[in-house]
Amino acid sequence: MSAPAAEAMAPLVQPGSPISRFIWHCRNNPKRELWFAWWTTVVFYNFFTISFFVLSRTQPPANPALDAQGAAHWFEKNHYGILLGFAIMFLVTGMTAPQNALIAYSMRRMSISPAFGYSYLVLYSLSAVPGMLLLCIVLTVGAMRPERDPELQQWLFDLGFLSYVGTMGVFLIGSIVWMLAILIDKNRVFPKWFAYLNLCNALTEVVVSPAWIFHSGVFAWNGVIAWWIDMVVFGIYTGVFITLLRNMIRREDFGTGALPDLPPKRMLETSSLAKAAS
Amino acid sequence: MTTPAGADAPPNEFDEVKAKVQDHRFIPGQPDMWAFVLFETLVFTSYFVVYLLFRAQHHELYLQAQANLDLRIGIFNTIALLLSSWAVARCVQASRDGAYRSALTNAFMTIFFGFVFFVSKVLEWAKEIRMGNGFTTNEFFQHYFFLTSIHFLHLLIGFIVMGVVIYQLWSPKRRSQELVETGATYWHTVDFLWVLIFALLYVVR
Repeated sequence: MSAPAAEAMAPLVQPGSPISRFIWHCRNNPKRELWFAWWTTVVFYNFFTISFFVLSRTQPPANPALDAQGAAHWFEKNHYGILLGFAIMFLVTGMTAPQNALIAYSMRRMSISPAFGYSYLVLYSLSAVPGMLLLCIVLTVGAMRPERDPELQQWLFDLGFLSYVGTMGVFLIGSIVWMLAILIDKNRVFPKWFAYLNLCNALTEVVVSPAWIFHSGVFAWNGVIAWWIDMVVFGIYTGVFITLLRNMIRREDFGTGALPDLPPKRMLETSSLAKAAS
Repeated sequence: MTTPAGADAPPNEFDEVKAKVQDHRFIPGQPDMWAFVLFETLVFTSYFVVYLLFRAQHHELYLQAQANLDLRIGIFNTIALLLSSWAVARCVQASRDGAYRSALTNAFMTIFFGFVFFVSKVLEWAKEIRMGNGFTTNEFFQHYFFLTSIHFLHLLIGFIVMGVVIYQLWSPKRRSQELVETGATYWHTVDFLWVLIFALLYVVR
């Protein structure tokens, strides 16, 4: 579709209550699928934070130096949090699909080979298994029978946390694919500094690998370097890419050339839903 | 700065570059790369802070372990990287003047000195491991192997970056001064981070 055609399609905001405007946008906004994917991303990360940090207490990770009794006690203590937190995760994990699709879309909007978007999509779809789902399943198994032999509970404890923290590298190539795409793109879909931020994120994910060796200290799976610094970088990276994806949708003209800059501010000040239409 | 004999770009182009460079607000290369420098500096600063905090807690152990490092190798590493940085700076100057042949020579020299660092680092690791100082030996060597390895990874990326710089300088069809300077900024970061790592691992007592 060419840019002028997209402009002709740009909807005029309808007056009325927020609900009727929302329904109007759902039916008429040409960017509704993109906004759906974006909002799904935001909602997913909120669920993720609540499930991992608040309910299951798997973030920050438990102490890898715990002995069998300690691991069994950890499962007992977090029994309900794990079951509830990961029940939520099993329900919402599918929300990562629109998120990955939106990121792949951003690469399809670039002046580059479609191979980048497809590689990213495949890589990130597969990474969710070792990178998140395995932890949820294994720790749920541990929480299911708290009376199980502590040796077995410790085995599940190690498998759960190492599959989650230790496999951070599976996300690394995806970040590098995105970085390369942004660097060679001529459509200005993302700023170049974000490509370099992808590299920073990938490099801190390498740093997690010593977690396979150490039971304690800064390089263990709950260590300052292997986990905390990495998590801060990942948190900043996630916040940045969610914001940049939002800007991309706002700038999208459904053309094939360079993505235009954001329109002047006054056009965006009508209402929050009008922002969605811009 | 003035090597018109080697110039093979139209003179108005490098007059433009020179005018830009003389502007005090001029930022070499993509400003975006400077965001990377800032961010990497912050990440490395956090690694250094962790190292120094743990060092302060077990000062004796760190001092004893540190005695196993050969300061001369560290100095040699540092000189190799400083020379590579000097070469990349000359590469940028030559490219700004339109002296692309000289710029290419300096880009290859950058890689050469980087490679000297590469070899000496690998030999140093082998030497430490032979002496029984591995990644898991003690806290000092955990930090030593971690900081030198993550820096080494930056060096490997630096070789790719210099490859891009050489690719740009190679053909008159490309020659983006901005990309040459962006690559040089990255290379300087590799050098700058090494100087800090050298000071913290080899010199601090």
